[in-house]
Amino acid sequence: MRLFACLLLFALFASVSALAEGDATRGEYLYRAAGGCGCHTDRAGGGAELAGGRAMKTPFGTFYSTNITADAETGIGRWSDEDFIAAMTRGVAPHGRHLFPVFPYPSFAGMTRADLLDLKAYLFAQPAVRQPNRPHEVWPPFGWRWPLPVWKWLNLPLSVPTLPPARRDDPLVARGSYLVNALGHCAECHTPRNLMGGLRNGLFLAGSSDGPEGELAPNITPHKPTGLGGWSARDITWLLESGFKPDGDDVQGLMAESIEHGYGHLTLQDRDAIAAYLGTIPAVDRKVSKSSKNKGRK
Amino acid sequence: MNAATRMFMVLSLATLFTLAAGIPLYAQNDQAFITYRQKVMSSNGDNMAAIGEIMKSSLPMGKNIVTHAANIEQTMLLAASAFEKNISAGATDSKPEIWADWKKFVSLAEAAADKASTLSKVAMSGDMAAVGPAVKALGGACGDCHKEFRKPKEESYKNK
Repeated sequence: MRLFACLLLFALFASVSALAEGDATRGEYLYRAAGGCGCHTDRAGGGAELAGGRAMKTPFGTFYSTNITADAETGIGRWSDEDFIAAMTRGVAPHGRHLFPVFPYPSFAGMTRADLLDLKAYLFAQPAVRQPNRPHEVWPPFGWRWPLPVWKWLNLPLSVPTLPPARRDDPLVARGSYLVNALGHCAECHTPRNLMGGLRNGLFLAGSSDGPEGELAPNITPHKPTGLGGWSARDITWLLESGFKPDGDDVQGLMAESIEHGYGHLTLQDRDAIAAYLGTIPAVDRKVSKSSKNKGRK
Repeated sequence: MNAATRMFMVLSLATLFTLAAGIPLYAQNDQAFITYRQKVMSSNGDNMAAIGEIMKSSLPMGKNIVTHAANIEQTMLLAASAFEKNISAGATDSKPEIWADWKKFVSLAEAAADKASTLSKVAMSGDMAAVGPAVKALGGACGDCHKEFRKPKEESYKNK
């Protein structure tokens, strides 16, 4: 009887530990669904995977991505599960330091606790790299951390359009919403920002002329002339797998990287879910170009 | 004004007119080169788009990918001659780096031709499960060259 109780306790402890530690294999899939966390690798400079140091040019200055390997001194190796969850969902690092929203925690805040722990398990299973973080080169007030709670109060949580009534109970659309809005953090690049760097929710996924690294992020709403309205769901699914647009041209920049290291590894069902969800969002008439700031209408 | 001066003036003006008339001809000639190489590259796009239609809708024409990929291979082998003339100004997305690092440009074009050849062979085998990765590998080769040598969309002449 005592032996049985001990075995039961051991099994209970083991299962709780496994829950707490997360599943690195599942975490790898989530890492891919998050676009492969490419911002944290300085590929052009030959930097180590996830060790940070990549320059992200924005209208507010240049941010340098941080080391998210498990190195205890320069990375996140000392972070507990709760530290990781606080950073990912509230933009707060250990010791209460507020993180700049160039790190897309407004989107990651929508991730489930289980997924966050699995993602952490995957990151911690990768080689730890000792590489100190580089200070950001951002001009005031955008380089100050103390106003960030106010910014968060104004801009969190992420606002996404409500689903059309006919699609609210569709599990494929619900999965697509989770992939697009939480894991894939599509709005962070494809929704234009206001003067304070907050997302302009009325132009949800309608494209940005000031995307990360100065890139143009196209309108991916279902608007026919200016967005993806002329694309079939299969066109979107194929782009996410192969990187090729319907005209046979390839995508460029960060999206190409995100497909190569991330979205291209998703299952067909998840890519279908993304396409299904994108078909439900409001179409916005907005052609994105270097001169398209503040334009657009539904 | 003596006869020699008048003759000098006439000859000078004739020379100026000849040069001025030649400028548009030269520009027109450059545009023809640009248009030709754009047609060459867009034919690759058409073949990739056709491959994409077969793949994304699982059309029962997997064997046609053999020809589409072979077309891309053959076209990529024309890239060196199509881009030989150094023109990076005007209605083109070609970066000057093409001619600054010509050897690299040619080697990346050849690498893309190799990947297209591999795709053609894989499609010939009928193993559709292997076609997807071969298409991605070809896409990677296209991207390697575009990343280095094609202006990003932010700087494209199409967006000006």
